[in-house]
Amino acid sequence: MVLELAKPRPIWQIMFSTHHTDVGLLYTIMSIAFFFLGGALALGIRAELFLPGSQIIGDSMTFNRMFTVHGTTLIFLFLLPFASAVGNYFVPIMVRYKDMAYPKLNAIAFWMIPPGGALIWLGFADFSWYATPPYSAISAPGPAADMWIFGLKILGVSSVLGSINFVVTILKCKHPDLPLSKVPLLAWSFLSSSLIVLVAIPSFAAALVMLLTDRLGVTGFFDPAKGGDPIAYQHLFWFTFHPEVYVLVIPAIGMMYEIIPRFSRRPIFSQSSGIFAFVVLSIVGFSSWAHHMYATGMSFTEKTVFMVGTLAAAPASAMHVFNFIATMWGARMRFATPMMWSVGGIALFFSAGAGGVANAAMPFDFITHDSYWVVGHFHLFVMGTIAFGSIGFLYYMFPYITGRMYNETMGKIHFIMSFIGTVMVFFTQHVLGLYGMPRRVFDYMPLPEYIIMNQITSVGAMIIGASMALWLFNMLYSSAKGKEANMDDPWGLGGKYYYPHQAKTPHH
Amino acid sequence: MARAIVLMSILTVLVILPMIHLVFAEPAEAGQYINRKAEIWNLFFKMMTIAFTVGAVVSGTLIWVVWRFRESHPKAKPTKYEEKGEW
Repeated sequence: MVLELAKPRPIWQIMFSTHHTDVGLLYTIMSIAFFFLGGALALGIRAELFLPGSQIIGDSMTFNRMFTVHGTTLIFLFLLPFASAVGNYFVPIMVRYKDMAYPKLNAIAFWMIPPGGALIWLGFADFSWYATPPYSAISAPGPAADMWIFGLKILGVSSVLGSINFVVTILKCKHPDLPLSKVPLLAWSFLSSSLIVLVAIPSFAAALVMLLTDRLGVTGFFDPAKGGDPIAYQHLFWFTFHPEVYVLVIPAIGMMYEIIPRFSRRPIFSQSSGIFAFVVLSIVGFSSWAHHMYATGMSFTEKTVFMVGTLAAAPASAMHVFNFIATMWGARMRFATPMMWSVGGIALFFSAGAGGVANAAMPFDFITHDSYWVVGHFHLFVMGTIAFGSIGFLYYMFPYITGRMYNETMGKIHFIMSFIGTVMVFFTQHVLGLYGMPRRVFDYMPLPEYIIMNQITSVGAMIIGASMALWLFNMLYSSAKGKEANMDDPWGLGGKYYYPHQAKTPHH
Repeated sequence: MARAIVLMSILTVLVILPMIHLVFAEPAEAGQYINRKAEIWNLFFKMMTIAFTVGAVVSGTLIWVVWRFRESHPKAKPTKYEEKGEW
């Protein structure tokens, strides 16, 4: 709270502010709070799976509820809002505008998230974050399922409002002297991901309404007994949520584009290739949704088309990796905490991508479908790449937000523990999947291979949990007692920063 | 550097493209299913070979870059952008 330290204000002034840095601060605090809530559920899940049989969770229904809310929370209440936090802080400054295009709409988009999150947490639904029918349409217990549907509906509207704001701010409000090609890549990442949201969300919005009317008994869109088709839901769902992966990953890459050149002390190797890769990813993200559905009886030709569509994302992703490496080549890098998280994120991004290339091939997909391979692959992206990029960026923003420096040693320990834990958990889950362990199970066969790999995974999760506790302590302690930051150059690197405290307009 | 990246991209596309055509060219008759299955497995193994080779090269390069161009490396020197503060 840079601005708050300089001139203290009552909390309600921040809560009801429409200024972009205030809304960014609210997004940051709320998303981190949900990160710890969702993470706590993950630790519960891993504790349960440490050994076969029932351990700490009494029944499979509770287990199902836990992983449903875990997934929903971390995707919709941590990753997406955290990206919005970064966008709110930086996009107006980067396009040299006084605020977001629609400040009130911006605040409304934020304030839709707490009720959405409350519905999800108070309901505690049990049908996984896919809400797959026919179970979700016919027999998932209410009101939990209905609350989840309403919660997601609210969060979807919030995403759309936020995206409209980003698109208009970047395209219509940027300074006339600033050509689009010179807009920093972080802002470009928000333009790309916002456009994806606007195209992708409507199909899931429709699916949610159809699911709700099915549950009310009015319709039978996804109920086979009424002539409906559950596979149709999967198409509508994945048309939204495969591109949504890019909505999550593109801002994280944008954050790395801000950090890597800063700590390398040289400009990004190729701005234009970064822009090109963002645009390509935004387009090809829509050509691969059915690779989640190879096992649903599609024709060979359809599967091949989606396989090729999936592989089309590989060159664009590789362009980002090459861009980062080329930027670091010949640099003089300072491995402060944000840089460590970004480089670690790039390494894991590449590993996750390689797994995705393998998994895109349909024969392999048939082996790994609904196995722990998929859990490992997906989490390597969301934790290893997106959360790593986000956490690194929060360290980067910390001096700007609080006016103080975090403890560097604790930050580095946090990274090392998280990196080790992430590799232990998600690489092992890939192997566990190849051994045939199905995902979303409360119990598993007491085979020695299953037991040892589940134990490695659970220990890795506990290491991550401990590192995150250290992070929380570092954040809280340093924001109160940390050394005062040099706001012009917190890391002593030189160069040009985009400081949120450079926001020119007064708070409103 | 930029030329090398462009060249590598073109070579990658040239290697992958004929394989995709091979799969598309397979006839659609039901009796041909085994051939198509063999074809797609073949494509998978080739892609895995490419993925692991490229993966090893890129990961190795990343590790070397991180080690060599850290500021504490004995041969580290200021970048040409540092004097003007332009980045």
